Amino acid sequence: MSIDSLISRAMRGFREELRLYVVAVTSLAVAFLCLGAALLALQNLGAVAERWGKSGHITVYLRDGLEPAEITRLAAVLEGLREVDHVRVVSSEEARAEFLARTELGEEVAELGAEVFPASIEVGIVSGVTVEAIEKLAARIGALEGVSDVESYRGWFEQLASLLSAGKVGATVIAVLVGFCVFAVVGNTVRLSIARRRREIEVMKLCGATHGFVRGPFIVEGIVQGLLASALAVAALAAAFFALRAELNSAFSIFVGTEAVFLGPGLLALLVFSGAFIGATSSTLSLRRYLEI
Amino acid sequence: MVSNRESRGGRPFAFFRAGARVGAEGAERPILAFEDVYKFFGKDQPALRGLNLTIERGEFVFLTGPSGAGKSTLLKLVYRELTVDSGRILFCGRDIARLTDRSIPFLRRNLGIVFQDFKVVPHWTVFENVAIALEILELPARLVRSRVGEALERVGLSGRGDERVGTLSGGEQQRVAVARAIVSEPALLLADEPTGNLDPTLAVDVLTLFEEIHQTGTTVLFATHDHGLIERRDHRILSLEQGRVYDVRRGLASWSSSGVHAVREARRAAG
Ligand SMILES: Nc1ncnc2c1ncn2[C@@H]1O[C@H](COP(=O)(O)OP(=O)(O)O)[C@@H](O)[C@H]1O
Ligand SMILES: [Mg+2]
Repeated sequence: MSIDSLISRAMRGFREELRLYVVAVTSLAVAFLCLGAALLALQNLGAVAERWGKSGHITVYLRDGLEPAEITRLAAVLEGLREVDHVRVVSSEEARAEFLARTELGEEVAELGAEVFPASIEVGIVSGVTVEAIEKLAARIGALEGVSDVESYRGWFEQLASLLSAGKVGATVIAVLVGFCVFAVVGNTVRLSIARRRREIEVMKLCGATHGFVRGPFIVEGIVQGLLASALAVAALAAAFFALRAELNSAFSIFVGTEAVFLGPGLLALLVFSGAFIGATSSTLSLRRYLEI
Repeated sequence: MVSNRESRGGRPFAFFRAGARVGAEGAERPILAFEDVYKFFGKDQPALRGLNLTIERGEFVFLTGPSGAGKSTLLKLVYRELTVDSGRILFCGRDIARLTDRSIPFLRRNLGIVFQDFKVVPHWTVFENVAIALEILELPARLVRSRVGEALERVGLSGRGDERVGTLSGGEQQRVAVARAIVSEPALLLADEPTGNLDPTLAVDVLTLFEEIHQTGTTVLFATHDHGLIERRDHRILSLEQGRVYDVRRGLASWSSSGVHAVREARRAAG
């Protein structure tokens, strides 16, 4: 079949059914935008989890009224451990100041004395140590003289991991829904335009057009719908992300100490390609159902 | 464009190229022959019952008979909208009934078909409506333009290619349909009551148009129940009634020897 004729007949289809296609592409773009946003959230969650997994740390809370010399000795002991990368002593005063700086809660909190905030030692773990090993280390540190409590953040890490796997399930569900949505919308658009072009389809068949000749433009139109919708969604997502990147980063770095990342080129290409692919298959199926040749 | 190579494969009608240059074996045979054709719709009411007819290459044949006689059914069997229940239909010596579905488009490329209801695409231009027949054959755009131009000239629509067909009058729309039917220069032109929706003067114009096309060598099978239209023409007339050909005569010449016609002619001579 001649490509020129195929393209020009598909273009004519778009011109004649412009409103139908604008509505279809817009709703598909919204669906793809949801999917893209879900993937973006998942990607960043994954990045956070990876960073936390790599750079584990432990907070060692000290008993009240410990002498500075004892604190220094304890810090030295901790620094001497094989798994420990560095230590930092945080006095009650410093803990209070840090808390106030972060929360901006105002007067009534500011009146809290330093004694409310226990002194602690932040212990950075060398990279590559597993969560289980960190847990064991925390238990060992907890038994040391002068230590009141040890926070290994294992609960946090586990929460993040379960959040991540829930996110993956959620994104998969959204992807399936979006797939169905594209199927339904493209299939319906094709069905409508078959109905509207009944006369010209009849004419083509009477003039000796093959099935492929009649079907070709509909399939091209399905592909273009899917392609256009997913590309529009990617463009909108990128525009939103890069416009808000500064804000995202400042919010992000407080909590997790990483920068927000955008979807990689491979994932973007997959998103656009799957739009085209689903568009093609759903128009083909719809033709098989509604175009009686 | 359909190539000769395909004709030796599974598409028996692919070799009839536009221009109807058929090989020697095809040229000797009648262009169309029905042999004992039956077509049933209900169980005991055949629309065609044992129909036999032969149309030679280059003929102009009227197919007539009352409404419900089976004219449309006969034509639909030729362009394979319908399939025979028994019997054979030979187009250039090849049996249409045995064609596979995939071959039907290649059969139709050898036919031009015109209908009572025009079957034009109203929101397409005149040019687009005619060009589609050649786009299907995958002719290059330049050739499509020149041949559509010629076809429009033949039907009297020169220079009106850009107009939307929906805005044209009925007679003009039917001319567009005729241009589409002849633009690929098919071997056989089928017409199913093409004047049925036109007033009498336009009907005569359209008939004359078919006769002009016939003059250039195209075989025409023209179905109509309008006796006023066929009376004065010197073409073979096949009359169908209850699914059979019950009368074969010629217009004019044979009519003058038949009783009714002789009386009428005598009256006319007297008046
Ligand atoms: N699709 C169909 N289903 C059932 N009966 C049909 C169908 N098409 C035609 N017929 C019947 O076959 C007979 C011939 O019809 P048709 O070929 O349309 O006649 P004509 O064109 O001469 O008026 C009629 O009795 C008609 O009712
Ligand atoms: Mg009829």
